[in-house]
Amino acid sequence: MKRLMVLITIALFVFALSACKDKNDKIVITIGMWPDETAKEDVEMFKEWKRRFENDYPQYEIKGQNYEYNVDTFLFMAETGTIPTVFQTWFTEPQKLIANGYVKDITDELKTLGWYDKMDPEMRAAMSANGRTYGVPRDGYGLGLFMNLQLLEEAGLIEDYDHDGKLDLYDSEGNPLYPETFDKLLTMASTVTERLEYVAGFMVLSANKQGGWQFSNIAWNFGADLQVQENGKWVSKLNSPGAIAALEWIKKIKHENNALPSDVSLSYNDWWSKIGQETLAMCIVGSDAIATPFVNMDKPTDYPYAFVPMPAGPSGERYSLFGGTPYMFSAKATSEQVMGALRFLEYMGRSPEMSDVAKQSIEDGMQVALKKGMPILPSIKPWINEDYVSYMENMEQIYCNVNMDYFKDFYALFDSMKRTEEPHYCQEMYKALDGAIQTILDPKGITVNVENLLTTINNDFQKNYMNNVN
Amino acid sequence: MRETMQKIRLKVWKFLKKNAMGWAIMLPGLVLFAFYIWIPLFQNISLSFFETAGTAKVKFVGLEQYQILFQSRDFIQALGNTFEYTLWSMIIGFLLPIIIALILNEVVHLRGLFRTLIYFPNIVPGIAVAIMWMFLFDPNSYGVLNSLFKTHHLWLNNEKTVIPLIVFTLTWKGAGATSLIYLANLQTIDKVYYEAARLEGASAWQRFRHVTLPHLKGQIKMLLIVQIISVFQVFYEPLVMTKGGGPNGASSTLVQLIYQIAFVEGNAGKAAALSVIVALLLFMLTGFYFYFGKERRKHVGKIAK
Repeated sequence: MKRLMVLITIALFVFALSACKDKNDKIVITIGMWPDETAKEDVEMFKEWKRRFENDYPQYEIKGQNYEYNVDTFLFMAETGTIPTVFQTWFTEPQKLIANGYVKDITDELKTLGWYDKMDPEMRAAMSANGRTYGVPRDGYGLGLFMNLQLLEEAGLIEDYDHDGKLDLYDSEGNPLYPETFDKLLTMASTVTERLEYVAGFMVLSANKQGGWQFSNIAWNFGADLQVQENGKWVSKLNSPGAIAALEWIKKIKHENNALPSDVSLSYNDWWSKIGQETLAMCIVGSDAIATPFVNMDKPTDYPYAFVPMPAGPSGERYSLFGGTPYMFSAKATSEQVMGALRFLEYMGRSPEMSDVAKQSIEDGMQVALKKGMPILPSIKPWINEDYVSYMENMEQIYCNVNMDYFKDFYALFDSMKRTEEPHYCQEMYKALDGAIQTILDPKGITVNVENLLTTINNDFQKNYMNNVN
Repeated sequence: MRETMQKIRLKVWKFLKKNAMGWAIMLPGLVLFAFYIWIPLFQNISLSFFETAGTAKVKFVGLEQYQILFQSRDFIQALGNTFEYTLWSMIIGFLLPIIIALILNEVVHLRGLFRTLIYFPNIVPGIAVAIMWMFLFDPNSYGVLNSLFKTHHLWLNNEKTVIPLIVFTLTWKGAGATSLIYLANLQTIDKVYYEAARLEGASAWQRFRHVTLPHLKGQIKMLLIVQIISVFQVFYEPLVMTKGGGPNGASSTLVQLIYQIAFVEGNAGKAAALSVIVALLLFMLTGFYFYFGKERRKHVGKIAK
């Protein structure tokens, strides 16, 4: 027995030594955007990208990790150094991740590759702090109005005027039939609710800071500026006349017109299921989420869903809150790993480089999306170099598989409407505004004085947050 | 001085030598306990006195985090709500397991089947229970319960009813398991006492009051404290069912607020301070638990004699 134990110990020692001798000298990059194993077409596509990349850069080894960013798991992964080299996160997260030291400053790497100045400056600003940049945008989004045209037709608000089998969003003179103002939106939403049982005409988000996020855009369109500089100091204006008017509008559509769902707490996960279940006609969402009801509710790409520009306010102001979905890099990654990960983004077709391999990858992505029945639409471009923009526009035109009449106005007007979020403590501001919206959506909200409510919230926000900026 | 130190060392050595085997057996457990419980506990307390970046301590701020919490509306609301959860759990969820146990104790046929059915909700994963009841409580007219009863209740979207309804779902899930604990105790009561009571002419209520209840008293007290401690830590039901403590924070709890501050806001120092406050409140409740546990052990001891 003793002899056997000695032999086993020696064998283990030799095995350990041999493992050391076979150590891989390659630079390992973990890609957190690797698709789940069940998405077979996506996995094959990523494997082909990996093969091409490792062939051209033999010093690198790509490891795929299906990591979906989640606040529950991220903290532990960050503390134990197990975050992938590059991962996708939510547009709300960069400043928090930067402040907590979880992501790497990649400014030098971006400048070495020549990508720094090709990035949309507003998207770059959202991923930067103190003049340094910590991520690259995957794509951009802008808020607009999503509509289920089937329900609008059933409510008698639109029809197939030219009898071509498709519902028309424009009249015979080309004027839009979708709501271009908040007044028109209120009227149409009320009509839907009156005429269709179990259907709400419109929905306002109110939870998980998404209510405040959406509300800030509505308030802008009512003429509000939520954070301003006065005498060189930053001041919160959550109770400005425009913000009050916006919240009064929500109060009216909820309690006078009864055109909203009965829920008081509604988050971003609720809109697509309600739209897909035909219990909601219209809601404000981001352009990067247009595909969600098509995919999640298994609708064909020619289903009458439309996405139109944000309605204008009483004075004609019309903005679309604009941001980008970021790729960020682990703080523990080396510069070589970052460079490798950035180069791999080129092989994914997610960089400003228009090499042959990048173009091939973009086309691969489009073809897989077509096979999966996903809608292919124009995108909000994260890079501004001419060759990237023109190539992407050309590809989107070739592969587009939706009725662009339902989407064209959003993309045509977006550049003139886009506006980035307020500069300071946005997440805290959104959370405070969530509270205001929920107070109004509550049945007792009909008796609430909106001005007093917003003034209280404004004073708290100024005291607890904005005073720290000055 | 030297002699005193030598005497102390000798005493310690004798103590350890006498209990060497005991220490050796306890050592792995002590090490694991220290690693997973005590060290993180003291690190957490230490973290609560600092401003943090991630979990790294940046600046010592003393009691500032505690001050910010006590002045925070979210904390005051969550504290009040947590006590409200506890109160409702005593109203809705305290008597029900006892009643179920008393009924099950009288069942003669298919007792095993009834026990399984009563226990069944307890084996359903908590998240699945929360999501199921969230669908049932949909406030729109097409919601399941509103359609069934032809009503237009807001259910979880009503500030007044959200906490009792969440407590109701907790009770639905947990009452069966608790009732089986009471049932086990009921079945240890000697039938002789009931026969003697019947012979004395005692009614059903008198038999319950003078035979059953005294026997259950100690266990009731202990399980009450355990229930209070458990409900005090309610977390994922409001997180899932009301999207983070809605409507307007009416169902938020202290533990959910810890999660919010630690993971969503990324403020480890403030979350650590709040968890210390929750721990102190739970220590107080645990103190009651041990006190009543001592009474129960005395009571069982008397019966054994």
